[in-house]
Parts: sequence; C-alpha cells; structure tokens
Amino acid sequence: MDTVLSVGIVFAYGALLTLVAVRARAAREFEEFSLARRALPLALVFGSLAATFVGPVFTIGFVGRGFRSGFLFLGIGLAYAIQNIVVGLLIAPRLRSLKNCHTLGDAIGQKYDRKCHVVAGIISVGLCAGFAAVMAKAGGDVLHDFFGLPHWSSVFIVVAVTALYTTFGGLRASVITDAFQFTAFAILLPLALLFVMVFSGHTSDGQGVAAAFAQQASAATAHGLSSTSTLEIVGLVAAFLLGETLIPPYANRALASATTQVSRNGFILAGVFSAFWFMVMISLGIAARSIIPADTGEDLVLLNLVKSTMPASGYALLLVVLVSVVMSSLDSLLNAGAVAFTEDIIKPFVELANGAALNIGRAATIAIALIAAAGAVAVDSIIDGLLICYAIWAPAILPALMIGLWIKRPRPLAGILSMGVGSMVAVTLWVIFKFIIDWKAETGISRIIIPALAAALFAYLVGHWLDAWLRSESR
Amino acid sequence: MNSLVVAFVVIAALFVIASGIWVAAALIAVTSRRRAARK
Repeated sequence: MDTVLSVGIVFAYGALLTLVAVRARAAREFEEFSLARRALPLALVFGSLAATFVGPVFTIGFVGRGFRSGFLFLGIGLAYAIQNIVVGLLIAPRLRSLKNCHTLGDAIGQKYDRKCHVVAGIISVGLCAGFAAVMAKAGGDVLHDFFGLPHWSSVFIVVAVTALYTTFGGLRASVITDAFQFTAFAILLPLALLFVMVFSGHTSDGQGVAAAFAQQASAATAHGLSSTSTLEIVGLVAAFLLGETLIPPYANRALASATTQVSRNGFILAGVFSAFWFMVMISLGIAARSIIPADTGEDLVLLNLVKSTMPASGYALLLVVLVSVVMSSLDSLLNAGAVAFTEDIIKPFVELANGAALNIGRAATIAIALIAAAGAVAVDSIIDGLLICYAIWAPAILPALMIGLWIKRPRPLAGILSMGVGSMVAVTLWVIFKFIIDWKAETGISRIIIPALAAALFAYLVGHWLDAWLRSESR
Repeated sequence: MNSLVVAFVVIAALFVIASGIWVAAALIAVTSRRRAARK
C-alpha cells in the first residue's frame, strides 16, 4: 500500500511539473526568453528568488549544520537575509531602472565600456556553469540515494529534464516552474518540522522532542561555537553576506520585475523569508538530535530523520521536495548563463536579429547544461563547491558593479582592473590552498573571499586614479 | 524558556507555509488569467 502511495506521489509530482512547464509555453522572442517581457508580478519574483537560493545547501546542508552546531549557522544565515534586504533597498531598484539592460554585463557595459561588458559576461557565464555543476552533482546525489541508479545517469536525468523546459520556455518557464517547486518545499519541509515536534513521540530519556528542544539547542550551539575558529566564522559571514549577492539569476529577476517597486519588494520579502527558512531548517536539525544517532553524517541528517519518523510515503515526499529544490536552482542558472552568453559575449561583436539571438540562447542553455553535467563529476562536496563559487564571484564582480551603480562617472580602467585582479587573486588563492597546501578544512575555503575582495577594491581605486591621471595627461 | 523557543519555531514554520500558499495562489491566478485572456 505504502509503495503504491509512494509511486503515486512521484508520478503526480512529475505530471504536475510537466503541466506547469507546458502551460508556461515556449518563448517566441529573445526579450521573452531573457526577461519574460519585464512583466513579473511580486509573488512570482519573490517565489522564484526564494526557490533559486533555496538549493541543497540551504536545505540538507543547514539541517546537518543545525544537528552539529545548533543556532551558530542561524547567525551566519542571517548575514544572507541582511544581504537580500540591503540589495532590495539599494541596488535592485537602480538595476531595474536601467534601460535596454538584460544582464549584469549590460549594466556594467552601460556604466563603464564594452571591454568591461565582455569581461563581466565571461565571468557570469563561467560562474553560472560552476554553480550549475554543483547543483547537478546535488541532483545526482539525490536520485542516486533514492533509486540506486549509477551517479552519472542520475546527474544526466536531472540535468536533461531541467534543460528541456528551460531551453524552450526561457526565463518565464523557469520562474513559473520555480513558483510550483517553491510551493512544494515551502509547505512540505515546515510541515515535516511540525510533524516531528508534535507526533514523533518520546526521546530515549522519556522527554518529548519539543520538551528536549531547548536543551539540545544550547548543547549543540555551545559545541558549534567551541569547534569553529573566529576567523572561520568571519569568513563564513563574509561568504554568506557577499558571495551570492546579485549572481546572474538574481540580477535577471531584478531586471524582469514589472516595476522598480516590485523589484525592491521582491528582494526584501525574499530576505525576510530566508531568515524564517533558516530557522526552520536549523530547528529540524536540532530536533533530529533527540531522534537519530549522534554519529550520523551531516548530509544524511534530513534523510535519516524523515526515514525514522515518517511512513514510507513521507520518504517519497522528501524525494519530491529535494528534486524541486535542486531543479529550481539549476533552471535559473542555466537560463542566466545562456542569456549572459548571448547578450554579453556574442551581441557586443555581432548584430543579431531577434530569432538568431533566441536560437543562440537556446543552444547556449544546452551547452551550459552539458558542461554542468560533465563538471558535476569534478565536484567533491556540495558546500565546498558553492563556497568556491562565492569566493570568486564576490571579488570579481561586486566592487565594479556596486561602485558603478552608485558613483557619477565610473572609470573603465577601474572596472576592468577590479574584475581582473579580483577573479585572478581568488582563483590563485583557491589553487594554492586546495592543490598546493592541500587544505582539508571543510568550510575553511570561505576565508579566501576576504583577501580577494580587498585586492579587488584596491585595484579599483588604483584604476580610478590611474584613469583620471591618464586623461589629464592626454589633454 | 523552552515553550518560548518552541512557539518561535512553530511561528517560523507557519510563516514559511503561508509564503508557499501565497505563491501557489499567485501561480494559479497567473495561469487562469492567461486562459481567460485566450478565450
């Protein structure tokens, strides 16, 4: 009976996703493919933003962290919530108000020059492919755990299904399927927490899970604080504060909002949502401490918690939730990478008709999906993979983008130097620590964001001053 | 202290569920408006 129900749940989910994807229709123009005609309402911008940032790290990862180190990671996650709110208040409306702007590269091109536009495009496409490879690995892990398929074929299935609807429907299909997937996990995972707190009976010492909660929370938090160095906490806060700021899929949602107000409110709401989301995930981890063995691996906490407290159909629901979590992030990354490739790398050199741009966007979606599937094999750990992407993205783009949007006459030399130096310092530090010093600390890699960001800011200042000096000399 | 923490956790869970329902309602509104426009 339970098997029939489980198979029914998985099929119903597949059928509903197909229905929603088909209803989103194929995009007919590049404007529709890239920015959904700039007409997204608040609920869809918010739902899609939240569905994109809630990936495997913000679910499986945070439940595991709550299990191991209690509320410590809630504090670190709050840095992420603050980042979204600040972007909503200060950056997203400014970005939305730019005319003829499809991507971050466009925004940088408008503020600096064509060279900066192309460099920002190359960084955007590279980072989208990197993030997508991490998501593809996570999706492969989920299917592999549930069905026991070989890992490569699990990766292929997740990437192929996601690429299929993103290639045809573009941003609109991505946003609409995100809303559906967001609904699935935003309702089911908090329900799992309530279920565990209310119905999962008693712990080994006879207390209820809810009664033991505060005690477990303080024990886990004390352990987390004593086992994590201050420098590592600072690095993690910096990575969560800046590492995902305005990565291409978020920037596309800011640009595709119906108005500047929708863009602002979408980011603020997503920030508030993320704080509550982290609270729920960390609480699931803490509640699991009274139920599952203490030596459970971090990535298995959510899986084992559901297995030991719910009937088999609950496990099928978890599969649906985790596949939703992965696909909603992966589709946004594929679309954002494809749009950045067309708009920032091809269009600055070749005059493209609407149909040709749409075809190049579609081909690029497939190409990035293939790169992500192949790259998934090279990713060792999901959280490490994401932290590396964070550590490159923030120094490579943020100083040039933020300062460019805020000052009156940004200098092209400052933009290009900051992007070049920021990305090179981050990549060099990563290669040194990972392959030469052979750094093993799991989240230790987050620390490289600080020197790389400092180098990018310094390069910006030097470039700004040098550009001004060169101009005055040539006069 | 204990019941306060549990109450806060329950409120957080309900907020997230409410967000999900809100986005689901918007999704249904968007798709049905388009169907009405096609008719």
